[in-house]
Amino acid sequence: MNLLLLYLLLLKASLTSFSGLGSLPMVRNDFVVERHVFTDHQLNMAVVAGRTGPGPYGLYLVCVGYLAGGVPGACMGFLALITPAFLVIPLMRWLGQRADIPRVRSAIRGLMLASSGLLVSSSVPLTIDAFTGILSAVLMAASFAVLTFTRIDSAWLMLGAAAAGLATLWFR
Amino acid sequence: MNPPVSNPPGLNPQDQPPSLRKLAEIFFRIGNTTFGGGYVTIGMLGRELVDMRRWISSEKFDLAFALARVTPGTNLLAFCAAIGAIICGVAGAVAAVVALTAPSSALAVVIMQAFESWQGNRFAMAAIGGTVAAVAGMMWSTIWTILRPHVGGPIRNLQVVLICGGAFLASGKFHITPLPIIAGGTLIGFLWKDGKRR
Repeated sequence: MNLLLLYLLLLKASLTSFSGLGSLPMVRNDFVVERHVFTDHQLNMAVVAGRTGPGPYGLYLVCVGYLAGGVPGACMGFLALITPAFLVIPLMRWLGQRADIPRVRSAIRGLMLASSGLLVSSSVPLTIDAFTGILSAVLMAASFAVLTFTRIDSAWLMLGAAAAGLATLWFR
Repeated sequence: MNPPVSNPPGLNPQDQPPSLRKLAEIFFRIGNTTFGGGYVTIGMLGRELVDMRRWISSEKFDLAFALARVTPGTNLLAFCAAIGAIICGVAGAVAAVVALTAPSSALAVVIMQAFESWQGNRFAMAAIGGTVAAVAGMMWSTIWTILRPHVGGPIRNLQVVLICGGAFLASGKFHITPLPIIAGGTLIGFLWKDGKRR
């Protein structure tokens, strides 16, 4: 895949999201649905790889870049990941004085809600892909509960889930 | 006699701004050893930069946190760029973001390569299968974390159902691409203000 196109596609995904995994709908639409560069399962693996180590949730974009274009693609993913962050500098000057205007606040709220709806839409097929039986359903529910209602580090969650996956071999 | 050097506006007046290298060291150390996502890392940075080193005032720290939430992309990176810019200018923003992200990005690629080479290994695939399921739960937790502050009161709940549900249907059922959906949600929010503080 052309590296400039890869960078622009990932940048578009990054620029239209407001959280680490918020870019997932755009990435899935561009790479899985429209261009068939990789599958839902591979996208899931990229998200897992991005979450296994330290750093922000958005790191999965680097893995997506790697899937699409090898190590140079990963560099494009890295650049697409960090580029929007620098928008905060002009924003500090501009929005810092206007953030309390009700209409600006409401527009941001509308944007966040639409992003959430898109995230739901892209999470459904990824959840179906991750479902392989009762154990996977239990792990999904446990993961949701642990992250939503406790302060347990996600690294422990990933370790526990890997151990549970290994334990299934014991019972086969 | 040299003219007095004034500190950048966010710094505590009695403290000298750090060197770029020192700033990058802090972001490198905290960003690449902290698990648990953005909020944990931001908490660690606050402890180090505001409480321990006093490189930035708590007011500027709060402003950076608030603006990072409305900056496109990953909130944590925008937060680091804002803090770096306040302390050391644009070079500080670049140093903070790169120091925090580059090593963990390289590690993520190594992990991805390992995943690919383990495709035939049943032990590795069983472990990865478990983590894939956990990540699916993590996505739903992320959705709830984004939605939770917007829920409460009949009008606000109606907005959540209409905008979030509408975006879901537009994408999932009618296959509309994300960009017009996001633009539509922003426009609806702009025209239909709820008048309450978040």
